[in-house]
Amino acid sequence: MTIKQKLQLKFGLVIALAIFVGLISYPEVTKKVPKVYETLNKLKINLGLDLQGGIHMEYEADTSKVDSTQVGDAMQAVQDVIERRVNAFGVAEPVIYTTKSGSDHRLVVELAGVKDINQAKQLIQETPFLEFKEEGQTEQPEQIPQDVLDKANAQAKQKAQDLLKKALAGEDFSQLAKDNSEDPGSKDNGGDLSFAKKGMFVPEFDKALFEGNLKDGEIYPDLVETQFGWHIIKKIEQREGDPVKSPESDNGASNLEVHGAHILIMKKEQPQPKIGFVSTGLSGKNLKSAAVAFQNQGLSEPQVSLKFDDEGTKLFAEITKKNLEKRVAIFLDGEIISAPTVQSEITTGEAVITGNFTIDEAKKLVQRLNEGALPVPITLVSQQSVEASLGQVSLEKSLKAGIIGLILVVIFMLLYYRFLGLIASVSLLIYTGLMVSIFKFSAFSPWQITLTLPGIAGFILSIGMAVDANILIFERTKEEIKKGRGAVSAIEEGFKRAWTSIRDGNVSSIITSFILIELGTGFVKGFAVTLVIGVLASMFTAVVITRTILRFLIGEWIEDKLWLIGAEKKDV
Amino acid sequence: MYNIISKTKYTYAFSIIVTLLSVVSIFVWGLKFGIDFTGGTLMEIKFEKSVPANQEIEEKLRDLSLGSLTIQPSGNNSALLRYASEDDATNQSVIKKLEEKYPGATQLRVDFINSSVSKELKSKSLMAIFWAVAGIMAYIAFAFRKVSRPVESWKYGAGAVIALVHDILITIGVFAFLGHYYGVEVGIPFIAALLTILGFSVHDTIVVYDRTRENLIRSSSKEKFPDIVNRSLNETLVRSINTSLTVIITLLAIYIFGGDSIKHFSLALLVGVTFGTYSSIFIASALLVTIYKWQIKS
Repeated sequence: MTIKQKLQLKFGLVIALAIFVGLISYPEVTKKVPKVYETLNKLKINLGLDLQGGIHMEYEADTSKVDSTQVGDAMQAVQDVIERRVNAFGVAEPVIYTTKSGSDHRLVVELAGVKDINQAKQLIQETPFLEFKEEGQTEQPEQIPQDVLDKANAQAKQKAQDLLKKALAGEDFSQLAKDNSEDPGSKDNGGDLSFAKKGMFVPEFDKALFEGNLKDGEIYPDLVETQFGWHIIKKIEQREGDPVKSPESDNGASNLEVHGAHILIMKKEQPQPKIGFVSTGLSGKNLKSAAVAFQNQGLSEPQVSLKFDDEGTKLFAEITKKNLEKRVAIFLDGEIISAPTVQSEITTGEAVITGNFTIDEAKKLVQRLNEGALPVPITLVSQQSVEASLGQVSLEKSLKAGIIGLILVVIFMLLYYRFLGLIASVSLLIYTGLMVSIFKFSAFSPWQITLTLPGIAGFILSIGMAVDANILIFERTKEEIKKGRGAVSAIEEGFKRAWTSIRDGNVSSIITSFILIELGTGFVKGFAVTLVIGVLASMFTAVVITRTILRFLIGEWIEDKLWLIGAEKKDV
Repeated sequence: MYNIISKTKYTYAFSIIVTLLSVVSIFVWGLKFGIDFTGGTLMEIKFEKSVPANQEIEEKLRDLSLGSLTIQPSGNNSALLRYASEDDATNQSVIKKLEEKYPGATQLRVDFINSSVSKELKSKSLMAIFWAVAGIMAYIAFAFRKVSRPVESWKYGAGAVIALVHDILITIGVFAFLGHYYGVEVGIPFIAALLTILGFSVHDTIVVYDRTRENLIRSSSKEKFPDIVNRSLNETLVRSINTSLTVIITLLAIYIFGGDSIKHFSLALLVGVTFGTYSSIFIASALLVTIYKWQIKS
């Protein structure tokens, strides 16, 4: 092959590349050939959350309770569980991964194109965290000085006395109860306690209500002191209850039911020592399955029965053996739901949670547990959410900025470098097409590029920087022409001489870009990745493509038309 | 040919004054850090009609005690709310309250960062800056390892680093000023901008130094070092200005048309690139000559 043939081949390749990247970047031109158009149009740039709307969430996992060798497994389990929940929600291509920063383990969840961000978030956060705890040391809360306590109680009693006076004087009892009662259960109903049998209240209260010889609607004339505080008691009505079948009811005890009401002013007491529960290591991650169960053929309240996996079975056996006659508490999402006392060692790997569940609650809990209980608790530590319409606006604006930037750079190059500028502009267009193609094709590689808003900024900036190499070469060329060289050899010299500057200058940009990628947060990464690809691609287009086009087009004819490249020869 | 090197005392004076002003504003005002570094929440709310008065919104949100709440209209009937509180539950109640009071209000964007994450971002950013500077210094030392006469290669490195520190300090200074008077906050994007400026500033300086190196090798022994530097500067002057112009053109396009979220980012780059070009023309090479003159004296 002669040199000329080689050049022709190279030029042909450049043309082919230009057409190829052009079609990839702008498939609309092939609309008349539907088959080609459809294929090309399938290639899409993967847009970031900030451009298409969506939510990015970072959760921190509390792994302090997990054995350090098991943390990796636990995080994998968290990821699996969240993946299952998200998949149930039907988000296209969710991105879920775990990261480690320092000693903190994080879970990152990215849901693109989500319409209802709050709903999606709730779904992830509602994930139940189930944990079994055993009794630990009792916590002794701080004691209140006795005199302070006495004073507070004297005040409370005085308040109760005043209320009693008001009630006896005929003020509306239920209104008084609503405003003043400290019994959260009855306060809002005006103190109403509904019908009750004797023996259901504490003895002092019972005595006043049932043996106080009160008529319907009458208020007991004295304050009644119980372990809870001071009560003002009103009897509303009474009735004969259902006949009681049990033998005890025969000996005179009436089945009288009294409908009463009360106002309670609470007694302040020394805080009771609390029993602290400590983790046992048994948690939702050891759960094999959960089911709704009923104790007496559906007559009693529903329960949730649990079945552990092998490790869980072993652990549960150990825990129950160790805690015979003691309580083991079951915590769901950090709240205690039941704390049964262990009757015997359980080796079957089965446990039952009885809380005050309704059937619906029990069913829902079972569903949530089966979808997966988290082995470690997670908290949301960082979130970025962008509404889809805002993303659309950002995309349009940044594309507009990019097109305007590109046009201005082309105008500048044409004005300043004329014919050379035209060729540089052609290379710049090829460069832009090449970048878009790289973004689109990266989806087929393991390193898919997600184009974010800062990524577009980096891309636009790289358009400005991409012509730098050409400017360096052209300036060098003009200099050589000034020195008296022929235009053709001056161009060759320009490329040769400018190369070290181009290489050295771009290395520094690449170094900082790689450090930015390492910094690793979304914004910076998106920017740096496009910048680094841009720098590399622009070196290729500026050196290889511009050079090939120039070599092909420039010949001896240019020598007497030097104004075309904005150069002048020094008079020798 | 312009005798740039002979004007050194003016350009030095200008740079020293601007750098000092920057350092003073950094120390007096400091930078106004955004939620990336302080933790907190940034929420953009779009209202159905016009944005209600700040006071009215503040009043509505008072009992949530959000902590250092600021409200700033952001165009298009929307407003940016910033506050120190950083948990999800609070954010939910904020939007709930606003929806109650202003039917049709929608939440366009919520960024929230917990203080542990922001601390980590801060230390990561410092590490990134450290490694970038270290990496670039190592690279300069490597690139100029073969130049030794009459000024040793590490002194080229020192010159480039001084020019770079100059560019960075001025950019930070400008943002300290903007933060104090216009409430412009700096976050991770600002760090990204600073590192990009680092790369760009060195890029520019290297091109000029490269030419100096080339001219040194091929120059006749008659030509003095300051003259060679000045000639190199002139030969690369058009290139330096044109390259910066194309970059500035694209940055301006981003700044004007690119939307709010990348406005300050492109502004930081604009400032840095402008001063980076200035310093590579007027400071970096002049430093070589100054060092050379010191050597002769001693």
